[in-house]
Amino acid sequence: MKIRSLLVFAAVALVLAFSGVMFAHHGTAAYDTQNSLTFKGTVTEFRFINPHCQIYFDVKNDKGELEHWQGELTAPNKLARAGWTKHSLNPGDQITITGFAGKYGGHSLWIRKLIGPGGQSMQLFED
Amino acid sequence: MMRRLAGSAIVLSALLVIPCASYAQYGTGKALPAGKKPATDTGKSAPAPVHDLSGVWMMRNPPGANRGYTNFTYTDPKTDPPALTAWGEEKFKEAKDSNGGAYTLDQTNDPVLTRCYPPGTPRVYFHPYPFEFVKGGKFVLQVFEYDHTLRRIYTDGRSLPTDPDPSWMGYSVGHWDGPTTFVVDTVGFNEKTWLDRLGHAHSEQLHVTERFRRVDRDHLQLDITMVDPKALAKPWTTTFYYENRPDWELGEISCSGDYLDFDKFESFSFKNKSEGTK
Repeated sequence: MKIRSLLVFAAVALVLAFSGVMFAHHGTAAYDTQNSLTFKGTVTEFRFINPHCQIYFDVKNDKGELEHWQGELTAPNKLARAGWTKHSLNPGDQITITGFAGKYGGHSLWIRKLIGPGGQSMQLFED
Repeated sequence: MMRRLAGSAIVLSALLVIPCASYAQYGTGKALPAGKKPATDTGKSAPAPVHDLSGVWMMRNPPGANRGYTNFTYTDPKTDPPALTAWGEEKFKEAKDSNGGAYTLDQTNDPVLTRCYPPGTPRVYFHPYPFEFVKGGKFVLQVFEYDHTLRRIYTDGRSLPTDPDPSWMGYSVGHWDGPTTFVVDTVGFNEKTWLDRLGHAHSEQLHVTERFRRVDRDHLQLDITMVDPKALAKPWTTTFYYENRPDWELGEISCSGDYLDFDKFESFSFKNKSEGTK
């Protein structure tokens, strides 16, 4: 099935892209790296702060209810070296966000891929 | 939708165990398409300048190296763990590191994450931020972006102190060994730091030797040797690899300013809390 192959291809690409940095994270224990989730959502807040930048976003679930989610990125110095500023995301921006789910309740993600409001994949790490 | 995601998650997790052999890139930075090298690895680098370590340096260990950021320790803990003394072994058992799926932030006793203590030498190299050297009169400063950490390396020919006062980062002396290798010896450590991010311990007897070898204009190799008769049964050695980043400038990171309030920024990661949203 085409969609399945596309998803598998995406999974392979994701692994090759991120396996180098996969476990380079002090808080890995908090995330389920076997459980990758992808959402289309709306940014409600973007915090460009140490130690990890945070994206707060709203997602409509299958029941049509609004869910509040939090996604974690790397440090602001690193994002700045990847071209970000504190204005790179703003409330109201439509994003597609993929990440590993937090294990201990709450709606949280360790973000692994992000498609920004312009439809472009945003660079998440410094070169 | 969920079944498809579960299917790819299974593929994803299966593929995680495959070494990154197809990864032509050096180290743990931004993903490049397989076969593409980072900008500095053009094969066209210039020769290393003489007696010169200037520039901003960022760790880029070869993929599959099983050290540095990926394993939080110096050598592969499965195939090449350090030889510890009985004392070192006992101390290591007490450590609750928060890396690689071990303990959560509210469970860990990592002195850096819980108290913002200075990371110590050479643990500071595991914090994934760049460093640079700044020349003074009788010393060179090694300035790390992580938490403003600073080391003063005396270059006026003095010897290491024989009875040093204990300190967090140690007392360092350095000299050039040939045109492109800078050798630093450090003693005088307190026992409040970990050797790495897994919690291997050291004593006040720790002596660290670093050989900074600028192999060409854009690449630095750092040989680290740790000798500690109380904690290590044999010297522990590794090599870390760095790339020069001419366009980077070090920013600010304050551990005590920004990291200590874990519940404000990462309450979702606490095993014993159930908050998730802001």
